[in-house]
Amino acid sequence: MAENENTENTMIEMIKVSRIYEPNITALSDISLSVGTGEMFFLIGRSGAGKTTLLKLICNMEVPSKGLIEVAGYDINQLKGNDLAHLRQKIGVAYQDFKLLGDRTVAENIAIAMEVSYKKPRAIKQRVKDLLEQLQLVEKHNTITNELSRGEQQRIALARAVANSPRLILVDEPTGNLDASTTEQVMELLNRSRLAGATIVIATHDSSLYRQSKHRVLELRNGTIHSLTEGDQP
Amino acid sequence: MNFWLAVFRQVGRNLHQTWTSQLMTFLTVSLSVLIFAFFYLIYTNMLGAGDRLSDDLRLIVYLEEDPGPEMQQQLRQKINNFDDVEKILFVSRAEAYERFATQLGENSDVLTDMPKDFLPPSIEVVPLQSLRGYNKIKLFSEYLKSLPGAEKVQYGQEWVERFYYFTRLLTIVVILSGTLLILTATFMVAYTIRLTIMGRRDELELLKLVGATNSYIRAPFLIEGILQGLTGSIIGLSALYALFRWISLHFEGPGPLNLFQFTFLPFSEVLIIVSGSIALCSLGSYSSIRKFLKF
Ligand SMILES: Nc1ncnc2c1ncn2[C@@H]1O[C@H](COP(=O)(O)OP(=O)(O)OP(=O)(O)O)[C@@H](O)[C@H]1O
Ligand SMILES: [Mg+2]
Repeated sequence: MAENENTENTMIEMIKVSRIYEPNITALSDISLSVGTGEMFFLIGRSGAGKTTLLKLICNMEVPSKGLIEVAGYDINQLKGNDLAHLRQKIGVAYQDFKLLGDRTVAENIAIAMEVSYKKPRAIKQRVKDLLEQLQLVEKHNTITNELSRGEQQRIALARAVANSPRLILVDEPTGNLDASTTEQVMELLNRSRLAGATIVIATHDSSLYRQSKHRVLELRNGTIHSLTEGDQP
Repeated sequence: MNFWLAVFRQVGRNLHQTWTSQLMTFLTVSLSVLIFAFFYLIYTNMLGAGDRLSDDLRLIVYLEEDPGPEMQQQLRQKINNFDDVEKILFVSRAEAYERFATQLGENSDVLTDMPKDFLPPSIEVVPLQSLRGYNKIKLFSEYLKSLPGAEKVQYGQEWVERFYYFTRLLTIVVILSGTLLILTATFMVAYTIRLTIMGRRDELELLKLVGATNSYIRAPFLIEGILQGLTGSIIGLSALYALFRWISLHFEGPGPLNLFQFTFLPFSEVLIIVSGSIALCSLGSYSSIRKFLKF
């Protein structure tokens, strides 16, 4: 994917973005924000502050009521058809509500993200196996996802998000149902993706994820930016 | 390569999940193909028989007297005034007698006691191929009747009339059953695919979110449509062929039906029916999936 010169170091650029739900719920107003390539970026705020809405805008699941959003140099709301599809293949999203296919096995659910970019079946199999090993879910390989616990489903959703080695990973509340040691595994997986070059945006309530890190943290309050801490990461 | 692998896996899943409605569609498509092709087969055979009949079609004008050469010239002129014809042949009393004798062959001795002029002279008129429509022949025969010295005009009126109406009726039936085929094939396939889409809404939604291209989402459904069209028409036509074989076996041999010399549809027309059915079914599936991919 080709990129413009000046956006080489910027993965996400938002300029004065608002999202108003009918009739008059302002989920986000006037958000301007820039996330660098390879950065790990935290999004925090109370329930209803607009975190999920922000992530949905970035992956074009929702369209902004106002403002401009660029991802990897592309105005994401101008993209259509195959261009949009190809960009989405490069964005992995772990949704807050998981969006797993309940009647399919764990392996099939993870594989979907790779199948759409026509990866070789052998490569897919290997990648699924690796991910399940990292998340200690190997024995669930052939389980129907409806039969998993919430915490397990959450990790499968994450595995699907990172499976296709996307350049941008959006994670919505990745550890809500997890104990401390499993949380650590999840963060390890995300860190590994970041070291491989991915940009990662994490929306979370869990202060333990970012408190001791050197990453930037954006706090939303009622749909506006309340604070943005400077990290010492690029 | 991997594209098609993934697509065919999806087709398999769809067939597995909605096989009852798939079966219904398949049966409907085969039945409509069978009905349409059945009438079409009868229609083409009728046309064939009609051609064979009209190859022999000639109007015979019986005359009171043998016309002299001058009179022949005049008659020829008058007939050609009405319309160009393929052939005009004057048959004198003597020639008529000769012909009859040859037709009788060995039995011609029955004629020995007859006077050589007991048969009337006549004109045989063979109309142009393009002028053999029923109404034209009727008008033509009325005109010929008004020629000087004409007594009677014969061309197998009743036969031609009945045949003509029957062919008209068949044309209508073929058009109706063709429409039936088009409607059922397109709508049934569109309906089944819509059903499949409803059943897989979540999945198709997710596929879009993870970046599946439209062709990747569309291909399995198109293949389903093509499969429905292909299998449906092949089974429908095979059933018709079996029926055709059965009829030929049971009604073979001499008899009035021999005029029809039953033949099956030529291969080219079979191909047209199969590809037409495939086209209709893909159209049905395409229209359904298009609606879904719109938003
Ligand atoms: N589809 C929608 N229609 C109407 N209002 C919506 C819709 N989605 C979100 N909202 C509203 O927008 C606001 C922000 O919601 P959002 O889901 O972004 O919050 P959040 O920060 O993710 O909360 P949580 O931490 O509970 O996930 C909320 O007031 C919510 O009610
Ligand atoms: Mg949320």
